[in-house]
Formats: sequence, C-alpha cells, structure tokens
Amino acid sequence: MNTANNATYGTMPPGLFGRCRPSFELGTVVLSTLALIVLCMIFAPSSITSGALAGSLPFAAVAVIVGLGQMLVVQQGGFDLSVPGAISLSVVISTHYPAGNDAELLPAILLALAFALGAGLFNGILIGIVRLNAIVATIGTNALLYGGVIAISGGVPRTTTPLLSRIAGGEFLGLGHTVWYALVIVLVVAVVLKKTVAGRRFEGIGANPAMARTVGLRVRSYEMSAYVSAQLLYCLAGILLAGLTSQPTAFLGNSYLLPSVAIVVLGGTSLMGGRGFPVPTALAAFFLTQLGQFSITIGVPFSAQTIIQALALGLGIAIYSFRRS
Amino acid sequence: MKLTSRKIAFAATTALSLAATAAFAEDVPSWCGPDNATLALLDGSGGNSWRQITSASAREEAEKCPSITDFFYADGQGDTQKSISDIKSFAARGVDAMVVFGDAGPAVLPALTAAHRAGVTVVPYRQQVGGEEGVNYAKFVSASFVSDGVNFGNFIKREFPDGAKMLFLSGPAGNSVGLEMLEGLNSVLDERYEYLNPAPFHVTNWDPALTQQVLTAEIAKHPQIDVIISDYGASLIGGLPAFERNGRSIPAITTESVNLLGCFWQDKQANNPDFKLLTRGGGNENGRLAAQWAIALATGGTPPETSVYTSEIFEDSVTGEPSEVQCRRDLPGEIYLSAKLSPEKQLEAINQ
Repeated sequence: MNTANNATYGTMPPGLFGRCRPSFELGTVVLSTLALIVLCMIFAPSSITSGALAGSLPFAAVAVIVGLGQMLVVQQGGFDLSVPGAISLSVVISTHYPAGNDAELLPAILLALAFALGAGLFNGILIGIVRLNAIVATIGTNALLYGGVIAISGGVPRTTTPLLSRIAGGEFLGLGHTVWYALVIVLVVAVVLKKTVAGRRFEGIGANPAMARTVGLRVRSYEMSAYVSAQLLYCLAGILLAGLTSQPTAFLGNSYLLPSVAIVVLGGTSLMGGRGFPVPTALAAFFLTQLGQFSITIGVPFSAQTIIQALALGLGIAIYSFRRS
Repeated sequence: MKLTSRKIAFAATTALSLAATAAFAEDVPSWCGPDNATLALLDGSGGNSWRQITSASAREEAEKCPSITDFFYADGQGDTQKSISDIKSFAARGVDAMVVFGDAGPAVLPALTAAHRAGVTVVPYRQQVGGEEGVNYAKFVSASFVSDGVNFGNFIKREFPDGAKMLFLSGPAGNSVGLEMLEGLNSVLDERYEYLNPAPFHVTNWDPALTQQVLTAEIAKHPQIDVIISDYGASLIGGLPAFERNGRSIPAITTESVNLLGCFWQDKQANNPDFKLLTRGGGNENGRLAAQWAIALATGGTPPETSVYTSEIFEDSVTGEPSEVQCRRDLPGEIYLSAKLSPEKQLEAINQ
C-alpha cells in the first residue's frame, strides 16, 4: 500500500494547519464557519453580538477540548464512547470533594486527573494490548466511570466552589478564561502532532499500523497514549464545565458524546484513522456550538434544531467522503 | 386518711393516663389507623437529591404512625428490571403496603398488579403508570403542575398588569411538567402576555449547560425580557449574569425554590432592581401524601382529602408572603428550604 498518495496521510512535512499550504479540511471548515456567520448576520444578528458570544464561546471551548480528545482516539482508528462518563466523573469529583471549600479544590482536581489517567490506561490496555474492539471496550469503561459518578455523588448535584467559578468563568482581554485554555490546548496538541517526532509517528501509526509495526514503531504504546491523552482532555473539559455551571448535574457529560464525534468528522479527521486536524477540529467545535446558538436564536422548535445539526453533520461527512473517493 | 390518699393517688393516676391517652390520640394523625402494617418505599431511580429528600420525607411521615411496625426502602437505580424485581420481592416478603415511584412508567404495571392481587396496598405516585385504581393498584397519588402555572401567572399579572414579554424554560421536549404549567399560565394570562420562546417552551433537558446557552441566546436576541418562567431554578443561575454583562437588570423570575437560588437573589437584588422572585415549594411533600394514602388504606385510617398533590407558593420577594426569599449560607446550595424535612435531615438524606 502506497501511503504517499493516501489522502489521509501525506508525506509532505505538514505545518500546524495540516500541510504547508492550507489543507482542504481547514478550507472546508473555515468556509462553512464563514457561511454560518453570514447566515447569523442575516437571520440571527443577535447571536454574534459580543454579549451572546461571551456566553456561548466558553461552551464552544469545552467542546473544542472534548473534540480534540476524541480526535486523538479516532486518529488511531478507534472510537471513544466513554466521553460522557469521563466528563461527568471529573465534574462530580471537582464539585463533591471540595463541597464549596476552595482549599480542597486542588486536591480534587489532582484526584480527577488521577482517575482520568487510570481510565485512559484501562481503555488503552483493553484496546491496545488485549485488542478488544474500541467501541465495546469504551462502552464498558463508560459504565464503570458512571459507577464512579454514582458512588461519589449519589447522583446529587453540588454547587461549584467560588474559586473554580472564577478559574473557568473569569475573563481575560475580553475573552472567557475557558477560551484561552482551549486555545493553549489546541496549540499544544497541534505542535506535538505536527512538529515532534512522537507526533509524526503517532499519525503514521494511525494511518497504517501494520506498516508502522514493520518499521519497528511501538504501535501499542502509541495507541494507549491516545486513550490516556483523550481521558485527560475530557477531564479538563469536565472541570471547566463544572466551573461554568453554578450547580452542575451529575450527568453533565451525556450531551457531549455525539457532538464529540461530529466535531471530529467536521474537522476532517478520517474515521479510518491517520492524520488529525487540530485547528479545523477546534473550528468545527465552534461551528457546531454556533449552529446551536443560531437555531435557538431564529426560534425554531427543538426538533428542528436537532435536524439542523444532523444535516450539518451529514453534509460534512458527504463532502469529505466525496473528496476521498 | 390512708384510704383518702389512695383514692387521690388512684384518681390522679387515672386522670394522668386519660390525659396521656388523649395526648397520644392527638399526636396520631387521622390517616394512621389501628391495624399494624409494614410499609415499603420503592424508588425507580433514587439517585438524586430531590428523590432522596422526598423519600426521607415519606419515611418521616411513616414514623408518625405507630401502627407502622417496619419500614423498608429499595432503589431501582434507574433499571426497570431491578424496579420490577424490587416490587415482586417485597410483595413476596409480605409487606402490607408499598409506595412506588414508578419511573419506568407502564413497564412496572404488571408487577404492581400482581402485588395488588396478592393483597398488598399498592400506591404509585407522581409518575403515571397506566392502569386503573382498584384493579391494578389501590390508589394513584398524582401531582398537578397546573396550579404552579396559575400561581406563576397570577404573580406575573400582579407585577405586570399591562402585559409582559416572557421566556418559559422547561425540561425535555413534551415533558408533562412543562405542559401542565403552561396550561395553568394560559388560564390566567391573556394575549397581552407574549411568550418569546418557541411553543410550548424552550427545551433545556433540565441541563444547566444547555439552559445557560439558551438563556445567552435569548438575552442577546431580546432587548426586553420581563419575566423568566422555569421549573428548575438552580439551572438558571449560570446564565443570569449575562443580563449584567449587557448592562441590564436580571428580570423577574418565577421558578422552583432551592437554597442556591435564594442566596443568589440576596446577592444580586441590590444591583438588579427588576429582579423579583416568586418560588414554589420543591414538591418533596408529594412523597408524604403518597405515604399517608398507603398507610391509611393499610391500617384502616382515614385517607387524606385529596390524592392530587399541588405545591404552594413558598417565597415572594415583593410581598414577603408567605415567606421572604430565604438563604442559609451555612447549608449546601442543593437543600430545599421549602421542604418540611429539616435541613439537617435533608443533609443526612443526601449524604448517606
């Protein structure tokens, strides 16, 4: 198999945006986002006012972080269905252990990260070493994580600590803190994937694991690292989400499973694995969130909002599939 | 002299015991009959604070009745099969009465019917399970949210006599709480009161993150929002500061009471002149009413007058009647100060 001509994995040394020239994926998502912004300007101008964006961008930022986590897993040809459990667990750990006491926040966050590390390793071992199907394994992990959610919280919501509210909800240079965190995370993921040897190997293994094994790369370790990194990202997203909502429910992660996959697909990453597109993925997360705000603002019923989002996803898949075929 | 003392002592003892009996009779509620019975409370999905506080309230109610010799509790943990097996196993163990929150709806009806036929006093409550009274179970204790809508509507009419622009948020699409509340609102408000949301209400799935996004979009879209109507007050709080960011006052709000919201109102009302608050009780007493019915039917007591639970207004920031807005900063935000169960017992219930 000649990977040099494989659309999902090029041989050109890629820049942060995919290749040196803007990639098709970036172009597609930028054009879609611009089109959406124009639509918003015509039909729902209030949805792109600074007040509206100040409210919606932090949630877009959370979606960006979750989407990047899912992207790493998809790059290895996997699927991570433990997103809801992972986010919900970090939400309840970061709200229940401190129970409103700022001094307890740091240990709680460290504990949440430790759980995420454990869950990531568990997923990684099941899929990378035991070779279980990713969908089956991560569904199981999701159930385990929800077990943790119920054990810790009893399903009871608890109010966020004031410190966490400030960390997640504060503003710097007119943008919410969460947006800055997401920008930093996008930058880190992009640099690591595109500019480091480990990142290049990671993408190469995703594109063609058999070939990578032949040339002596540690395929299993890289696959495991995808699941561990993804869990850490979901954990961070959960902590920020807990800070953004004053009384998060214990099941806050439920609404992130499908959007996480949609973001990855719209961002241009092939579900077969291979190259990842961190910047287009981040833009896709903004696109999807803004599409939601657009639907709410134009005042269509909830059923139509869901249909609009499904259509956008279908269109995204169609564009990329058409190009790849 | 001795005889006289004895007589006095006898008279005193008799008087005392009569008084004690009378006092005891006064303490025992009318719904608590003379026959001994055991009671089981079966939750379909007990994993949230509201449910735990409601169950603890039902238990406290059962403790008022000395005829209840034993009280059991089981949580179906959101699993229909476990809920069904809980109902069957308690019927097999021979409990005399069971109060059931049938989260799974009609799926638990066959199990309830079997228990009813086996002679157990079965009282499902709040969640519709289908079937008929007397055939599938003894009594269904329902909850009506129409009266909440009427109370909210009357408050809106009082504060905005010339009409208002309203935003109504509820849970999942088509949920009966929101639809019944809307029915109550519409029975009071005329066409001068305009809904800014798509009919029948903004879907939020009772998810605070989605609620926040909906609020953000609506606040940016509508320069004038006079009142926000919601059935889950705590979820609003994250989105309300958007009003302040846009240089506007938080508007009037009608919703369900919870400690967090009361404290939020106290913090914000000085800088937000339009922020008036009317809350209804948390509805935890629905469990008490169901327990009263089950106990009355099982012990031969007098059943309560109604089998439909309606919550009442709890706080009104304008009139202070029946209560000023309450906030207990020493307690967690998720406590219901409106519940009859003491805050300490609520804490115990949600931390167990």
